[in-house]
Amino acid sequence: MTKKDKDMSKTVEEKLLNEKTIEENTLSSREYKYGFVSDVETDRIAKGLNEDTVRLISEKKQEPEWMLNWRLKAFRHWQTLKEPHWPNFEYGPIDYQAISYYNAPKVKKDGPKSMDEVDPELVKTFDKLGIPLTEQKRLSGVAVDAVFDSVSVGTTHKDELAKVGIIFCSISEAIKNHPDLVKKYLGSVVPYGDNYFAALNAAVFSDGSFCYIPKGVRSPLELSTYFRINAAESGQFERTLIVAEDDSYVSYLEGCTAPMRDENQLHAAVVEIVALDRAEVKYSTVQNWYAGDKDGKGGIYNFVTKRGKCAGVSSKISWTQVEAGAAITWKYPSVILKGDNSIGEFYSVALTNHRMEADTGTKMIHIGKNTSSTIISKGISTDYSNNSYRGMVKILPSADGARNYSQCDSMLVGNNCSANTFPYIEVNNRTATLEHEASTSKINAEQIFYLMSRGLDMEGAISLIINGFCKEVFKELPMEFAVEAVRLLEMKLEGSVG
Amino acid sequence: MITKINDNLNFSEGCEQSGFPSIKQEDWKYTNLSAIRKYTYVTDVPQVMHEEEVLREYCESQDINLVFVNGVFSSKFSNLEKMPEGVKLLTIKDALAQDSSCLQKFEEKCAWPKATPFTSVNKDLAEDGVFIEVNDNAISKTLIHIVHVTSLTEENLLTAPRTCVLLGKSSEANVLETHVCFNDKNIYFSCAQTDIYLQENARLQYIKAVKESLQAFHVGQTRVFQEGNSCFDGFSLSAGGKIVRNDLDAIVNGEGAETIINGLYTAWEDQHVDNHTSVEHKVANCGSHQLYKGVLNDSARAVFNGKIFVRPPAQKTNSYQLNKNLLLGDGCRVDTKPQLEIFADDVKCTHGATIGQLNKDEMFYMQTRGVSQRDAVKMLYRAFVEDVLDMIKNDHVHQKLNSLLQPAFCTKS
Repeated sequence: MTKKDKDMSKTVEEKLLNEKTIEENTLSSREYKYGFVSDVETDRIAKGLNEDTVRLISEKKQEPEWMLNWRLKAFRHWQTLKEPHWPNFEYGPIDYQAISYYNAPKVKKDGPKSMDEVDPELVKTFDKLGIPLTEQKRLSGVAVDAVFDSVSVGTTHKDELAKVGIIFCSISEAIKNHPDLVKKYLGSVVPYGDNYFAALNAAVFSDGSFCYIPKGVRSPLELSTYFRINAAESGQFERTLIVAEDDSYVSYLEGCTAPMRDENQLHAAVVEIVALDRAEVKYSTVQNWYAGDKDGKGGIYNFVTKRGKCAGVSSKISWTQVEAGAAITWKYPSVILKGDNSIGEFYSVALTNHRMEADTGTKMIHIGKNTSSTIISKGISTDYSNNSYRGMVKILPSADGARNYSQCDSMLVGNNCSANTFPYIEVNNRTATLEHEASTSKINAEQIFYLMSRGLDMEGAISLIINGFCKEVFKELPMEFAVEAVRLLEMKLEGSVG
Repeated sequence: MITKINDNLNFSEGCEQSGFPSIKQEDWKYTNLSAIRKYTYVTDVPQVMHEEEVLREYCESQDINLVFVNGVFSSKFSNLEKMPEGVKLLTIKDALAQDSSCLQKFEEKCAWPKATPFTSVNKDLAEDGVFIEVNDNAISKTLIHIVHVTSLTEENLLTAPRTCVLLGKSSEANVLETHVCFNDKNIYFSCAQTDIYLQENARLQYIKAVKESLQAFHVGQTRVFQEGNSCFDGFSLSAGGKIVRNDLDAIVNGEGAETIINGLYTAWEDQHVDNHTSVEHKVANCGSHQLYKGVLNDSARAVFNGKIFVRPPAQKTNSYQLNKNLLLGDGCRVDTKPQLEIFADDVKCTHGATIGQLNKDEMFYMQTRGVSQRDAVKMLYRAFVEDVLDMIKNDHVHQKLNSLLQPAFCTKS
């Protein structure tokens, strides 16, 4: 084991908050811990993007004709679109021809039949990341679909889930094995014409997860997808589709990391959620893409479209996100509240340091009667970073009795960062009730003083205060993720305050 | 002179966004001005005042009144006798006759943001207006009331009223600028602009009230530039007009300055009222407070956009903004966007927005006490409005605004 690996495994171990050894303090110094590259033999296609690329990807995945046609339609539409540049940051030109759109770890002929056949190098990579693919070592109660570069390398606990009727597999498998479901729901929430990056994704998406919860089933496990970008000069374009039938429940987790590289890599994913009558979907993300070095060189462009549709009555979709990585984050997980009495929730913590840029928030579109939504957003900016909340709450004329509560707080640490809030509130129905509040401030000096007088060091005090600041969001995360999120924030904040 | 909007008007001089604003532009996203372009306007009409008596009653003799009828100064209705010492109050024409470079000098002092389409229009068309200069240490308690009244004309009138207010060091003044029309059928377009410059320690109470004809359009901008320890106490009332848009931009350029911007808007039938405010904190130790309240009836529409900018040197800024809306009509619509852009860490900035109806419990309580539903609505409405109207310290002005609000209060709820 190298020194780095030792360090890695340490973060996975349980430890008490704020209890740091001297060794750890010297080692961690805000280095990105997941920045290693795995040596895996890959099957990659040449760089460039044209109709043949789309055909080639579809062919490699042995997709049926309807899928290819859908991709081609999306691609042709994408060609007519212009790259958007309206957010509160600037991003360098993206050369769509310099990206390889398909990178798959090489597999023996028919692909792995069980987890035992997966390339040991891959298993090792995910182990390093703290994601055990071998089932005996699994985190209790979490089924994982691991996506490595362009393809899903393995899904755990399939059998256990199949017993209750849950389909949890890579989307490529779903296209082959459950075409009716995919046909019915793919693109129903985020159509390919939705925006520039959604169109691109629809044309070239290489894999992702598919999850179907049948009527009346409460998922016994938490489902999880772990995304890893490994190859250079590539992008990741995955698509996740979650369908929750009447009276079902699922909690879904997503995590992501990438190696440290000087180039900017594009991650343009699409997540679609459909919740039918009385169904509940909880989607949590801990995003930790490589954010570039302290001068802003390299890092991932995280341009993601995430949207859920509360199609049925009394359904509920809840987004929780911890955005701690990526050079630029640009995403707005949204909920369309179509069913009467449906509920949408958005809990977010966005932490930016170095020269990171984040423009994130949510959209709540109220269509059904008595729909309600809650937005809690916490932004922390440090160093030279820029953190923006941009949200929209729209009450359509049909949404009688709609209710929204939004709260977005920002904290500034240091004198060179910025925090912005752009809430759009559009109300078309007089019976709607909305409250929006936002505040921006720095860490309270008295609180730091108090904690330090109780024996905490400066960093410990700040970390504790920030933890408290984000508490409302962390408590929405499943246990394991909450622990990881707290760690991640601590790690990112180390050394940023003086 | 006949002017067809956009044919002859200069919308582009010095603007980044040239041409007539469209809803594709962020600043005009919720306000569609295309209705203005349906008409042809003239800029020169006979100065006839049809509602002479009402106007005389409206301009009270205890104030200094400067009255402009159909865009032209009317000495008949104005009274300038009570001029306090140290205050120079002239029409812009007279001011230019005395010192041809006075406007230019005034503009050089303030680093205004870039021109917008309507500042260009005003600059092009403004022939007359008001020029107020208060000397250092002069304190004027008398209310200076600037009245822009539009009376019935055969053709549609386009006016570009302009007001310049310059307060010297440690001076004080009270200014009320009203845009009124006593006939709700008149169609006209008023493109108003007010520029205010406050030197160190100056204090200005400035109220702008718009109660145009229900068929008329009003696009106004107020620009404020503040030096150290000055205080701008502003209030904006919008109580009528087919489309009313008010832009209020304050730039805080000196430490210790205070900016107060309060506002009230009411709209009914198919009126559209849009308030944009922007406060830019360029230096440390300043405070700004904003409270905007609105009541909408029938199928009226309201837009609020409040921006607070805190630039990197502006540490210890304390900035507060709140927008509250009361919806009473079935078809009404509100679009609000309170916006913060903060580049300094040691600040306290908050904003909030609420949209709601009358509280059912309160309604119920009042009815159990024998108050009819109709009266209960009125009382609660009144209470909602009074809260922000009370921010006006001057009782006399308070009364005047109340009278302008009468038509709004009388609408059925």
